[in-house]
Amino acid sequence: MSVEKILERYKKQLHNSVDIADRMIDVGGVNVGFIYLKSITDSALFAEAIFEPISRFKQTLTFENLKQIVKANDVSTIQQAEVLENILKGAVVIFISNSQEILAIDIMKYSTRVPAEPPTSAVIMGPREGFTEDFQTNISLLRRRFHSEQLVFESLAVGSITQTKVTVAYIEGIADKSIVKEVKKRIKKIKIDGVVDSYYLISLLSNRPNSFLKQVGTAEKPDVIAAKMLEGRVAIIVDNSPIVLTVPFVFLEDLQSSNDYYTNYIYSSLIRIVRVIGLLLSSIGPGIYIALQLFHYNILPIKYLITIADTTQPIPFPPFIEILFITLLFQVLYEVSLRLPSYLGLATSVVGALILGDTGVKAGLLSPPTVIVMAIAKIALYTVPEQSAQITIVQYVFIVLGASLGILGIIGGMIYLLAYANSVENFGTPFLAPFSPFILSDNKDGMLKVPVNQMKERPKSFSNEEEERMDESA
Amino acid sequence: MKVLDKNINAWQLGIMLFILLFANKILVLPSLLFEGAGLEAVFIPVLFFVLEMGLLFLFYKLKTKHPAQSFSFLLKNRFGTPVQVVAFVFLCAYFLCKAVLLYNVTYIFFRNVVYKDYSSFLFLFCFIPIMNHLAISGLRVMGRTMQLFFPFMLTIVLFCLVVGVFGINSSVLMFSKPFAEIALTAAKHISSFGDVVLVFVVMHRVQIKKGEWKVVFSLVTLASVLVCLITVIFILSYTYTAFMHPYAIFEIMSYVKEYGGLGRIDVVSMVGIIVFAYFHLAIYLKAFMLCFKEVFPKINPLYSVLTFNLAFLLIVGFFILNLEQAVSFAEKILPYFAIIPFGIVPILSGLLFLIKKRKEVKNE
Repeated sequence: MSVEKILERYKKQLHNSVDIADRMIDVGGVNVGFIYLKSITDSALFAEAIFEPISRFKQTLTFENLKQIVKANDVSTIQQAEVLENILKGAVVIFISNSQEILAIDIMKYSTRVPAEPPTSAVIMGPREGFTEDFQTNISLLRRRFHSEQLVFESLAVGSITQTKVTVAYIEGIADKSIVKEVKKRIKKIKIDGVVDSYYLISLLSNRPNSFLKQVGTAEKPDVIAAKMLEGRVAIIVDNSPIVLTVPFVFLEDLQSSNDYYTNYIYSSLIRIVRVIGLLLSSIGPGIYIALQLFHYNILPIKYLITIADTTQPIPFPPFIEILFITLLFQVLYEVSLRLPSYLGLATSVVGALILGDTGVKAGLLSPPTVIVMAIAKIALYTVPEQSAQITIVQYVFIVLGASLGILGIIGGMIYLLAYANSVENFGTPFLAPFSPFILSDNKDGMLKVPVNQMKERPKSFSNEEEERMDESA
Repeated sequence: MKVLDKNINAWQLGIMLFILLFANKILVLPSLLFEGAGLEAVFIPVLFFVLEMGLLFLFYKLKTKHPAQSFSFLLKNRFGTPVQVVAFVFLCAYFLCKAVLLYNVTYIFFRNVVYKDYSSFLFLFCFIPIMNHLAISGLRVMGRTMQLFFPFMLTIVLFCLVVGVFGINSSVLMFSKPFAEIALTAAKHISSFGDVVLVFVVMHRVQIKKGEWKVVFSLVTLASVLVCLITVIFILSYTYTAFMHPYAIFEIMSYVKEYGGLGRIDVVSMVGIIVFAYFHLAIYLKAFMLCFKEVFPKINPLYSVLTFNLAFLLIVGFFILNLEQAVSFAEKILPYFAIIPFGIVPILSGLLFLIKKRKEVKNE
């Protein structure tokens, strides 16, 4: 088949897409055909490193000459069946009329974001880089942190249409081989048309995919992923996603912040306690408030009780409806502020928080204590931003329990929730470890944090190949 | 839905026993004991805790001798299936009745103190899903959850005791009741004790390493001491009117209700009662499930949950509705069931040491 017809055939297979570029030239009597996608290849590099040297070649062109004269690094001989795949991955595919062999040169290029500080993982002191949507950039951000042959990246393709690159990263000799094997097995088992973001993989990597609890760790910062990999975790990098996943995951990970490791350990411990308080305030705070108001008002200090009675007495709605209304209002404002441009988002916040809240109170539709309780609960939600979705669900449940059953319902809900969390295990790791089961050594970096020189062992909450991480003499 | 069951360790077993030893002993029992035995009531819990400790010691000996076998298997192996089935049918009935008693006492407490206009069904709606969930989640999940709550439970009890000390009215105990009356009161309320029998039911699910037995014994001793202290403080706080105050741990705090503008701190004891009640009922249901499985080994364990729920609802819904009826149930019917922890189980365990096995004991 002539080179021209071959090019035509592939163009047809790609449905004559607008970004297909093909070209045919004659080099010393030999026809040379090029085909690539303009949208994902470096056109300047193509002209300079591939087209020009070939077009200037004066002798009879052979396939061996062709491989020698191109000025690119990633050159490979491919089979006919691999042509489409290579074109779609940003390679220039070259056919010559005097050879059956096909050459592919990877010169993929597309616009990417510069690594920037992720909005939810800001640090006062410490690395500010964040992952981007570019897979190669993300790998380089990690590789830069490990000058060791033990760092392993294994790539797999997921998605029958998207063929998304999913890379399993781990440190050989530290990560448990059985966990690495299980991660790869689960990824290979995924049968889906496409993976648009790493979040698609979360439920597919979870033991209990229907559970509302998060069973896979997420991070946007390479220093966080590097630290987790040093503990023996396995990272999963998905092309086109700035969120890198880690397994095994324990709830404690979301109570920790990268900031904790770049500041004084006593201060870090204090901040972690504050986070736990924030977590409790936001999850059960509104539920307790409504339970106190409806069932147990007599246990409140008398002065506070009078204040609440004075402010809630003129409110036309029952406390449950009032609290639901405020919750709904907040959720609407939150959704709106996420989607609006920042200048409009600010205006919405002012309208929502100041005008609606203040006017609602003045109009006698909302009581100030309820507004304060809900405001605290909603702000406290972001002390553990990675768990905000889960806490919001729990918050609603506790509001209903507090309103219907009082403290009895709240405590019942807490027992139910903790028993449920205790029953969740992913990759053999209990969700609530090291609190339940209690693992003393892991609590050195638990609710409280000790200095780095005392964290001589890797976590025991999950298995890893090497327990020691610091020489005893250190 | 699948019933999960994995092994528990010494700490989890100890905490389960710790919770079981509180039960109605921190609510209505001290008042009832005082009513029958006067100030001498303080000795009754001590006596029964000694017996419970003896039961635990018997278990320790049995478990050490047969670390991997279940009590059911040992009974079947030595005495045959009929004895094993009858013993476990009795145990099923025992745990069901104890659950009914505890539920009623807790329900009456909450109805009188907080939820005045609410029906019993609201409480059933609250308790049943949680005890079912805990029991179905399995012993390990239940044990781990209790372990998480244990520091709070212990803190609450200690807090109540410390606050209760400030309410003591009299430091002199004038003993005057004849022995017969004390013995009669003890016999009437014997069914409030004997929960340690649970250890025989979960025997094959417990993994205790060498040297960990002290954890179990320490936690049981701690619970016994705390319950005795609550009884003493309660009786010393109310002396001659103690029989009028049926909720011991709650009542010992009512002298010191308002504390430095913090509001009524007796809510702390109420929180403690709630936590104890939830876990306690879940343990009874789990024990019932395990016994039911020994009686009907081929039936799906979920049917045991269903049976328990139906029987529980039937008894609670139709037969026992107020404090008087609950007390009457505890004093007239339940004492006969006390023969299980203080009679049948120790005798059978003793005989297991004496009678030679029928055939080779194999691991289950």
